Amino acid sequence: MEKLFCLLAVLSLAGLSAASSACTKPEVSAQSYTTPDATILTNIGFVAEFTLTCGNGIQNPPLFAELGGKTQPVARIGANKYQVSWVEDVKKARRGDYTINIYDEENYAALRKAIRNNEDISTVKPLAAVVLNYPGAYQGPWVNSEFMAFALSIAVWYAAFSAKSKLLA
Amino acid sequence: MSNKSKAFTREEELLLQDFSRNVSTKSSALFYGNAFIVSAIPIWLFWRIHMIDLYSSLISFVVVTLISTYLVAFAYKNTKFVLKHKVAVKREDAVTREMTKKLAEDKKMSKKEKDERILWKKNEVADYEATTFSIFYNNALFLAIVIFASFYVLKSFTPAFNYILSVGVAGGLLALLSTGTQ
Repeated sequence: MEKLFCLLAVLSLAGLSAASSACTKPEVSAQSYTTPDATILTNIGFVAEFTLTCGNGIQNPPLFAELGGKTQPVARIGANKYQVSWVEDVKKARRGDYTINIYDEENYAALRKAIRNNEDISTVKPLAAVVLNYPGAYQGPWVNSEFMAFALSIAVWYAAFSAKSKLLA
Repeated sequence: MSNKSKAFTREEELLLQDFSRNVSTKSSALFYGNAFIVSAIPIWLFWRIHMIDLYSSLISFVVVTLISTYLVAFAYKNTKFVLKHKVAVKREDAVTREMTKKLAEDKKMSKKEKDERILWKKNEVADYEATTFSIFYNNALFLAIVIFASFYVLKSFTPAFNYILSVGVAGGLLALLSTGTQ
């Protein structure tokens, strides 16, 4: 069944790439943004913007994104310019690269089908992939200032106390 | 020296006076000035960090600062008194040696005069060291208590109460601890 589906997917991809609505030889250039300072925040924002250039000159095709098994529509914010964004809990957001797979309408349908049938989604080849790097966000200093002040004051007091003990000894 | 039954000599009177709990006016001014400064410092902490309203708590600022000034000065005095004896004993030899060397050239001075000068110098050194050390020690303790009380113990209180209690408790504790002999 899986093999058959794969064959179908490949066939449909092949068929669709020949069709005029599909984007061929996609070229993607992306920019990304993640929240740098999460001192007082609960969620980290991830934003990836990219420009899609199709080899066959298709303009503004509707796109979809897949990230970690979840799909979401891609917002078009300009001529051939797209944006994918989501938020994650500060505690759960992992550092490193996030690969966002971009699908056009045809292979998105195949992807949905694969998900529906509980099949391996990596068999559906995405149109392009955008990599977003999250270097981590600043979550406040390691020791808060009042603890620092307290520790310093205790250190000074201890110096004074030991000097006093030495004098009184 | 003092347990001898005969009347005190002039030298001993001088010694007793210098080692009494009473402090000179100059020393007292130094103590009260320092106590006032260190008591007023927490106002900044509460104003800028604990976000207390400066004008509405003006009365408590004044009252608490004055009470705390008195308590801190009291602690200075007691600590100085305890320390002065010890410092005098510790520095005795060095001062005597230095003064003897210094006065050795003066042939005209009598032995008694020399001894008096040494005693006076010893007293001055001990007084100075005890005074400055007492100020340092009590300031360090006062600020440590204020920081600990205001940030940890009384964290959940309103800033106004936090101020009154932490500075009051710090002054009180300082005065209490200074009455111990060690």
